[in-house]
Amino acid sequence: MDDTQAVNALVRRCVSGDAAAWQEIVQQYHRRIYNICYRFSGSADDASDLAQEVFIKMYRTLSTYDTTRASFMTWVTTVTRNLLVDHFRKGKYDRVTDSLDATPGDQEDGLTLADRLEDKGASPEARVRSQETQKLVHEALKRLSPELREAVILRDLQDLDYKDIAKVLNVPEGTVKSRINRGRTELARLLQRNYKQAN
Amino acid sequence: MAGEIQSGMQCVEVEALLAEILDGSLHGATLTSFEAHQHSCAACRTMVEEAKAGMHWLKALDEAEPPRNLVHNILAQTIGALPSEHVPVKPRGEGWLERLKGRLAPMFAPIATPRFAMSFGMAFFSITMLLGIAGFHFADIRNWDLSSKGIRHTYYDTQARVMRYYENMRWVYQIESRVRDLRRAGTPDRSAQPQPQQQQPQQQEAPAPNPKNPSKSENRQPNRQRPNYSRDNGGPMLATFPAAMLAAIPQARQKGSQRTPSLSRLGSQNRRTA
Repeated sequence: MDDTQAVNALVRRCVSGDAAAWQEIVQQYHRRIYNICYRFSGSADDASDLAQEVFIKMYRTLSTYDTTRASFMTWVTTVTRNLLVDHFRKGKYDRVTDSLDATPGDQEDGLTLADRLEDKGASPEARVRSQETQKLVHEALKRLSPELREAVILRDLQDLDYKDIAKVLNVPEGTVKSRINRGRTELARLLQRNYKQAN
Repeated sequence: MAGEIQSGMQCVEVEALLAEILDGSLHGATLTSFEAHQHSCAACRTMVEEAKAGMHWLKALDEAEPPRNLVHNILAQTIGALPSEHVPVKPRGEGWLERLKGRLAPMFAPIATPRFAMSFGMAFFSITMLLGIAGFHFADIRNWDLSSKGIRHTYYDTQARVMRYYENMRWVYQIESRVRDLRRAGTPDRSAQPQPQQQQPQQQEAPAPNPKNPSKSENRQPNRQRPNYSRDNGGPMLATFPAAMLAAIPQARQKGSQRTPSLSRLGSQNRRTA
């Protein structure tokens, strides 16, 4: 039995009222859903609340999942993304438009974002390893528009392929690729703009 | 520039193939023409570099660690249960009492708190103290007669006890005597004159107490009547008045109130003569 069949059997058991099956689904997918919520909302508290809402919605609508249309992972991601978009439309998670020159509120050392990103010749991977730099990239991700943000999150953080992302976002595959490219480029520009200006 | 044909590939094509370029999925002639175009077009080179940097920034982000109670909260909100890994494993071979305790424990969990136990203890202490003051003793329970006759007897006995208690209360018989005085004051002639004549024969019929050799029944008689005397507030004393003295009362009232002996003074004189 491959993974897809095993997951489908798990879903069938859960729909028939098996609490242990639902518990297994929660254990298997909570980390992934939490991370999508966290990167999209930018807040750990909001992500926890949103992840709980996603699972409540999944629990109520699990019987509507059609195994012939998409994989369970795609369905779960679609439910998550739709709920996040609903919350975004309510205005809860608006796009952050702070300048890179601004000092982050929780950092009181007077350094700008460009100062923090300034590094002496290290590769992006090496720089992002540090905890502080991770925060800066996370903050920059919050500044992307929701369309670009969700596309890069699903591709670069969740490793979904373009076809699945197109199903989740309900847009053509070409649009998905375009959004991913624009999202990556805008993020890099956000992070490096002031650094280049400083040089 | 975008749209400019350089080395066989347009800038628009580079933009469209950018995702595949970064994924490393370009092969053969397409890859060759892309590399040639990138070498000659600065704009496309910059675009590819920026997209590549952004991708690396994102891919290098660590996975966020969910809160520890997330799974617990999700399960509590969906199926209302704890994760199985948190459910304590019961030891095998335990008796029915332990199983019963295990089932009842969650039901009584909300009230099994120190605060509730303290309140319960205080209430029990207060009730026990009140019962003790009221004369109730738990040791008497075994002496209870629960037959229908016994219950009826207990009922009437309790009723009689309550009535006795009520009638012997000081303020009750004070009010009763005052009411009786008021009634008597409203009808002085009828209450003062015929009463001695009716009660005198009774007094004469009653045997005189023998101070030298009193029997038991004779000793009890005045004791039993004592509460009645006090309740009547002077009534029985009037019963011992001589008829001549009673006849003199209206005449004395006519002469003057200052020289008229009061009822209480007449009563004391009567007591001295008796």
